[in-house]
Amino acid sequence: MTKEEIKQSVNEFLIEELEIEPEKLSDDAYLKEDVGIDSLDFVDIVVLVEEKFGFKIKAEDMYNVRTLSQFYDYIEKQVQ
Amino acid sequence: MTKYALITGGARGIGASISRELASLGYCVLINYKSSQQRAEELKKEIEENGGSAELLPFDVSNVEEVDNAIERWEDSHPSEYISVLVNNAGIRNDTLMVFMNNEQWDDVISANLNGPFYVTRRLLKRMMTKRWGRIVNMSSLSGLKGLPGQVNYSASKAALIGLTKSLAQEVAPRKVTVNAVAPGFIDSDMTAALPKDELVKMVPAGRFGKPEEVAALVAFLVSDSAAYITGQVISINGGLF
Repeated sequence: MTKEEIKQSVNEFLIEELEIEPEKLSDDAYLKEDVGIDSLDFVDIVVLVEEKFGFKIKAEDMYNVRTLSQFYDYIEKQVQ
Repeated sequence: MTKYALITGGARGIGASISRELASLGYCVLINYKSSQQRAEELKKEIEENGGSAELLPFDVSNVEEVDNAIERWEDSHPSEYISVLVNNAGIRNDTLMVFMNNEQWDDVISANLNGPFYVTRRLLKRMMTKRWGRIVNMSSLSGLKGLPGQVNYSASKAALIGLTKSLAQEVAPRKVTVNAVAPGFIDSDMTAALPKDELVKMVPAGRFGKPEEVAALVAFLVSDSAAYITGQVISINGGLF
């Protein structure tokens, strides 16, 4: 799976399921502050990643994931 | 789409009545039990003969590995379904005055009555949240509200369950999951069978013990769509004894 496919899949989910406005989804956007993802949304994201990318997010892995592009990178590393 | 309801301790007493009631309303009930296998099988058969559907899901609620394994197996065999209703009903009591209470009596009751609901609820919550519909009912007790001598372990566990209910209700309300507690007084069931009923009934303004079916009817309401705006509440059902 290419980075672009990962990005498309994640963004599609954020827009459709979490009703986030597409213009908020720039690569350098901070998940919490800019995109507005809260801890409840994170539960949905964990399940999305399990279903679409086939691995379980570990809470400690996410400490350093602050922006959308860091999140795409994290998924890419895990699926490789 | 079939709705699945897990009733812990669902083969006996109040739990069995809840299993029957929810099955009669069209839920596929997952009857959990630890040791009451025969009664669970009989209940499943009874439900099916009455046109309902039921599955058996045995595990010990106080054993986190058993909880996780049993639910994981169920989810693997039902990949496109989820358990949308959970009734944390399994509970034990082991009464004695606190001065005589040993660690085991304390730990066993806390494990079953408080750790159990934590383990089972945690395991099911994620799906309820992502599916945007869930109902959790925790079986508390009059004893958890007013305390009863000889039951410090039981009262503590049931009071703690009310705290869990209120906190969790606020956590998951945005995801259309409700969490409520039911606090029965004296109900005719296995748990009260050994109590001196003639003496205790004098304390109850209604002049009788409650029936398990009456508790089941309350639970059925709380898990219905009609109760979507009720969350974080403790509903007492006690014939006026409080």
